Amino acid sequence: MSYLLGITFVSATSSSAAARVPVEERLFSLVLALLATDAGLSKNEILSTVQGYRQRYAASGDNSNLERQFERDKDDIRDLGVPLETIESPGQVGNNQNLRYRIPRGDYELPADISFSPEETTLLNLAAMVWREGSLSGESRRALLKLRSLGVTTDDPVLGYAPRLRVRDAAFAPLSTALDKNVIVRFGYLKPGERDARVRTVAPIALIQHEGRWLLHAEDQDAGGTRNFLLRRIVTPVTTTNTRHPAFDPSATTRALEELEEIWQSRTADVEVLVGSDAATRLAKRKGTQCSEDGILTLHYSDFALLADELAGYGPEVLVIAPEELREAVRERLVRTAADHGE
Amino acid sequence: MASNQSKGRKILAQKTQPLQAQDKLTFLLSLVPYLMDHDRIGVAEVAEHFGMTPEQIRDAVRLIGVSGIPGETASYQHEDLFDISWDDFEDNDQIVLTHRVAIDDSPRFSAREASALIAGLQYLSSLPEHADRGAVASLMAKLSRGASAAPSQVTVESSETNATLSLIRDSVEAGLQLEFDYLNSRGEHERRRVDPLRIESLDADWYLRAWCHLREAVRTFRLDRISNPRISAEPITHGIDDVKLPDTLFEGSAHDLIVTIDVAVAAAPLLADYIPDGAVTVEKDGRLRTAVRVSHYHGLKRLIGSMPGVATVIDPPEARRAVAEWAAEGAARYSR
Repeated sequence: MSYLLGITFVSATSSSAAARVPVEERLFSLVLALLATDAGLSKNEILSTVQGYRQRYAASGDNSNLERQFERDKDDIRDLGVPLETIESPGQVGNNQNLRYRIPRGDYELPADISFSPEETTLLNLAAMVWREGSLSGESRRALLKLRSLGVTTDDPVLGYAPRLRVRDAAFAPLSTALDKNVIVRFGYLKPGERDARVRTVAPIALIQHEGRWLLHAEDQDAGGTRNFLLRRIVTPVTTTNTRHPAFDPSATTRALEELEEIWQSRTADVEVLVGSDAATRLAKRKGTQCSEDGILTLHYSDFALLADELAGYGPEVLVIAPEELREAVRERLVRTAADHGE
Repeated sequence: MASNQSKGRKILAQKTQPLQAQDKLTFLLSLVPYLMDHDRIGVAEVAEHFGMTPEQIRDAVRLIGVSGIPGETASYQHEDLFDISWDDFEDNDQIVLTHRVAIDDSPRFSAREASALIAGLQYLSSLPEHADRGAVASLMAKLSRGASAAPSQVTVESSETNATLSLIRDSVEAGLQLEFDYLNSRGEHERRRVDPLRIESLDADWYLRAWCHLREAVRTFRLDRISNPRISAEPITHGIDDVKLPDTLFEGSAHDLIVTIDVAVAAAPLLADYIPDGAVTVEKDGRLRTAVRVSHYHGLKRLIGSMPGVATVIDPPEARRAVAEWAAEGAARYSR
């Protein structure tokens, strides 16, 4: 059998040093304490009484390290989807020192009317396995634990056959975090057909996989309007700013996908390919490609420069028939490459 | 788009940092409601259900057994703590929760957890065996409702179902080997017979990872280079548990060629998969001089040809010539 998580628990009882409470025990105790309170607990109450903090609390002294620990723990817990909320003490509005913390049960618990059938659970297991490696693997692993919490048992699917989606674009993880937090990001983008990258400042709207390529759909903060950026062409690390932007309506994502589809539908190119060549095999199998009787392939595409680059890579295996601009763009590229590699 | 010729190409899969404490916390919060629903359950059964080792379950139960809330006295009195039947636990490896605090139910999904599952479902729905769009749509709605905040927008377009994928699935189900014509990147056709192990997709491309009976080894095949597939009469002899499938799609070989290139600084990340570890890289006038690893020049000329004006082969001369001839032949087709 295979194990879902390669994690080891440090038993609380086996540790003789009471001062070293394991992280998971401290976090677990914090969640329990905040779930059990309606009125909320003040920071001081938490630090002085909750397991894992109280051992390190100085009754009269400096607790700034412990306070910072609490701040980090709050973030970690919220990252897991636990709705840890801050409320102001009655009669002390605006006084930051007297903020109270709690986890409202109704927002924490899975609504009682949500259940999953064995068939649905099987499908969700597979959906989580899609991300077995890569950017969302931690999220899907934790989602599966929560799903199993509900106790539904399933017939194991043919796991070995489960399809895997690999996302190797380094930008994926920081961008999905930024999406979650509604913050502006900055990155260097190399537009297809250009030589130099330009810094873009954008508000991320959605991460979209279209024609197998991951795209960031975002609002351009300099030029205005929305743009699509190929993750593959984000060539610098993504900088996350602290500037928040208003959340976008989820319909913006659907619209972006529809627009991409329309563009892809409307743009076509006719090419002639050498029989039996790599180009013939691969281009014929591209989604939407039509083959005419005289051996001409009609291809759909989204980005002109990207297609021209791709077709140039096939060298003599491809001859572009139409449109004329693409014919010229591919010819120019081939001439350029030949010249760059001349004697 | 760069063609994926090089067997030496390394897939730079993002290895996320293991958020150990967060995983453990999620497990604890998930385990408690599960135990509440079972009056008495064996450690082995819980381990099986959660896909963990029995020892991981025992450690978690020991921790839950001494955890609780500060309570009225703020000092973790006995009634403020979870309790289990320790005798059943220590002697019979059985878990019986006898007292519980604070937790009543399973936790919601986080926005990112829900969106990971939703994107996974969208991806699955592009495959023939999961094409039940109705079931998928109702599941997505449930996940959104079961999340603590609106799921972040990660979306995968639904694509046409693929006949080859469908046939691979049938071959696995029938337990019979799949055979097909395969065009390798040198342009050679071969009839292959394989035991399918796994389907993976990377960027726009689908790959079949399989035990190849011709090579008697695990091989990775691009789906778009497979022609005339059919299910053979030979039974499958290798399953996913019988072979070790490397995590990377392709692995470098001792026969790989190292080629010196110049590439525009901004475009270097596009070649990251091909640049071997420890390659010496020097920057000059906005270009990087570095090295790429390829299995043969057939792959190199396609790769460099798809990056015109951006990447240039410097050395060895025969590599340069291979690219020059490839591009010149291509250009010549336009002057006829």
